[in-house]
Amino acid sequence: MPDTNTLELTIFSILALFMLGGSLTMISAKQTYISAFGFLVAMLGLAGEFALLDSRFLAVAQIMVSVGAIVILSILTILTINAKEENLPNEPYKFLWIIGTAILIAPFTFLLYNVLTLLPEHFATLEAINSKVVGKLLFSEWVLPFEIVSILLLTAMLGAIVIARDKVKGAKR
Amino acid sequence: MLNLIVVLPFISSLIIALVYLSNTNASRHFFYTLMGVGSLFVVTILSLSTLYEIIQGEPTIHSTLFTWLSLGSFNIQLAFMADRLSVMMISFITFIGLLIHIYAAGYMKGEEGYGKFFAYFNLFIGSMLLLVLADNPIIMFIGWELVGLSSYLLIGFYHKNPSNITAANKAFMLNRVGDFGFIMAIALLFISLEGTGFTFDSIEANISIISHADMTLIGILLFIGAMGKSAQIPLYVWLPDAMAGPTPVSALIHAATMVTAGVYMVARYSFLYIQIPDVGLFIASVGAASALFAAVLATYQSDIKKILAYSTMSQLGYMFVAVGLGAYSSGLFHVFTHAFFKALLFMGAGAVIIAMHHEQNIFKMGALKGRLKLVYITMFIATLAISGIPPFSGFFSKDAIIVATFAQKHYILWAVTTFTAGLTSFYMFRLIFTVFHAPRKEKKTLHPLSKSMTYPLVILAIGSTFAGFINIPQFLQLPDIIITLKHSNELMIEGMNVAVGVSGMLLAYRIYAFKPKEPQLKTLWCRLATNKFYIDEFYTAIIVKPLLYMSDFIAKVIDPKIFDGFINLNVTLYLASSEQFAKLQNGNVRFYALYILAGVSVMSFYLIFKLGVFL
Amino acid sequence: MSPSLFFLLASLLFSIGLVGIISRKNLFVIYMSIELILSSINLLLATLSKVLGDASGSVIALLLIAVIAAEAALFLAIIIHLYKRHKTLDADKFNKLSEVN
Repeated sequence: MPDTNTLELTIFSILALFMLGGSLTMISAKQTYISAFGFLVAMLGLAGEFALLDSRFLAVAQIMVSVGAIVILSILTILTINAKEENLPNEPYKFLWIIGTAILIAPFTFLLYNVLTLLPEHFATLEAINSKVVGKLLFSEWVLPFEIVSILLLTAMLGAIVIARDKVKGAKR
Repeated sequence: MLNLIVVLPFISSLIIALVYLSNTNASRHFFYTLMGVGSLFVVTILSLSTLYEIIQGEPTIHSTLFTWLSLGSFNIQLAFMADRLSVMMISFITFIGLLIHIYAAGYMKGEEGYGKFFAYFNLFIGSMLLLVLADNPIIMFIGWELVGLSSYLLIGFYHKNPSNITAANKAFMLNRVGDFGFIMAIALLFISLEGTGFTFDSIEANISIISHADMTLIGILLFIGAMGKSAQIPLYVWLPDAMAGPTPVSALIHAATMVTAGVYMVARYSFLYIQIPDVGLFIASVGAASALFAAVLATYQSDIKKILAYSTMSQLGYMFVAVGLGAYSSGLFHVFTHAFFKALLFMGAGAVIIAMHHEQNIFKMGALKGRLKLVYITMFIATLAISGIPPFSGFFSKDAIIVATFAQKHYILWAVTTFTAGLTSFYMFRLIFTVFHAPRKEKKTLHPLSKSMTYPLVILAIGSTFAGFINIPQFLQLPDIIITLKHSNELMIEGMNVAVGVSGMLLAYRIYAFKPKEPQLKTLWCRLATNKFYIDEFYTAIIVKPLLYMSDFIAKVIDPKIFDGFINLNVTLYLASSEQFAKLQNGNVRFYALYILAGVSVMSFYLIFKLGVFL
Repeated sequence: MSPSLFFLLASLLFSIGLVGIISRKNLFVIYMSIELILSSINLLLATLSKVLGDASGSVIALLLIAVIAAEAALFLAIIIHLYKRHKTLDADKFNKLSEVN
């Protein structure tokens, strides 16, 4: 129905604006925490997009993990590091770099978009992908990747601890 | 057997060389003499037996060693051919060579490098035999070059004196200039023959394939080679300087054998030259001019060996007059007789030089008539021969040549050759009278001469006397131009020759037998003639100096600045650009990612705009 | 609302992330740009899942989020470690790959 369509389109545009605006801020801000906030906004926008695509579980997972864990962790780290204004790297030609790289990347983006739109153009109507569906798939077809990812998380945790800790005095490394 | 004749001297030369190199200082006089003279003795016997075979009526003997080069139609065998011409040549070459080897054993006794001398000498004999017995132009050319090499090695034998080395270089280089013509001729000959075999026999059979213009060119180019080898104008300047070598070398190489290679070559190509009589006339004219020029120069020389050198050049001129005018037999007859008396003259001169303790200026000698009797008598006989006084051999051969010029109606050539005959007699007797007759105030004690130096003189004197009676022309059977001359005319010419010779002798007697004077440098003519008309200086100025300047220029300017500079420029550019490229690798991963992106971007641009994807 | 819009968005996000990696020297910004790229892939997967009518796309995206989390932990640990040792957040200071001079 046209109404729902325009509604969806408006919501999509708002969310898209959030995402684009957030990511642009993120890559061009001078202060690190401003970048972090831009990133936060972008992730929230992404969660909204997921919801728009009827992947409800994914949307929630995105908010929980990506926003609630990753972004929070990043901000925590930034604040912990607490780099002074002068300790931040000076980037004299930042703007030039960004514009230059943008120009370089433009054709690639063009190609990428065009290749992607070769895929089917219609949304298939189906029921929303909620936790029931996801759960069913996760434990039947995708159980192996699921288990492996859990091991990955364990390893990552251990790795993070090992890398970030101080040298223990007297201990053999 | 022909194989043996050519190969044996090379082998003995190699053996002597190896033994000599094993210990340069040991005096193995007996071994070297045995090896050197012995091998030549064997070769002489073999040559004479080959001669005997040919006389007995056997036609040309052929003998092949191996196939040297075989590229399609260019098939060269290392093969030998003994026809009447070559067998005559090898007979007197080996015989006189043997006598000179024996003479050299005495002359070079006690000299440093005795073994080296005999190695080179044998090398020369081998090369000369190779040249004469070759059955195709390429092998003859190999012999030609080897003979030039041996000449160079032997002239520069006393290598401690730099002027000897210069003389040797000069000989070799002028020879090389002539060889340029020779090589061109052979190449042109091969091309014109269009692949129909390349031995002398087959060339003779196929001579009609070659166009007249080609033949003329080949004939001229071949003669240029002969000019270098046989010291005719303009490539003669090496011959007087070549006298810097030991006297046996002068006797063998620059009198009897090597210098006659040019004449032999023209005779060998007689089938070619009879087709092109104009070139023949040119050859004869050059020969006559050389004969006259050399005779004039000889009249003003004071060094005994230089007089003989110019005399050789003069007699060679006679030989070329003969073969140029188609009288091949007469030319080769003169080669034959000339070998005898010229070798004798040189050996006698060598004896005189040794006796006078290495003095070479004739005006410092005198009154040797009584003290060097044998040498005197033999040299006198030789001088009579060279002056063309009957019944000595020179008369017959020289006479045949002069008659040929008259009979073919080339009166200028006739006048020149007759006048030169008189001059020849004059300067040769000038030499004899000054050295042997003229009185001297002080009496120096003479250095004694070894026996090996005197016996060959006797044998050669006998040869000079009687060689004229050997009917070489009839033996050779070369394609001479038949001349018809009224018998009375012929007698008149002969008589004139004798008269000219005798009058030269008497004139020389009158001027030089009593109070010989060195040429006074009073008149311009005298000065010019004594200084050889400054031809050497002329050559140096117009050829040598520009070449030296050019090579200096190239070595100092072009080579370092242009070639090296160009290469250095390349190096500098490369280093500079690599320095710039090295800056790209700054260890920054960010930049590396940028480079990857740049590559992707270029490809994307290419895909979109050049190939029109998605547009 | 067609998939092509989503694809466009995904491509743009990808490019922005790439620009961020190359242009900025601040380690945090580089890190967050990498996250952005991975998130754009997530978006793509979700779109495809809706287009093809298969829920597997979502599942993959979910697992990918887990991976992103793991990588985030490690990345931040490294940043902390580097800051402790070199007291700098400048990516250009870490250029030991090239041993010039």
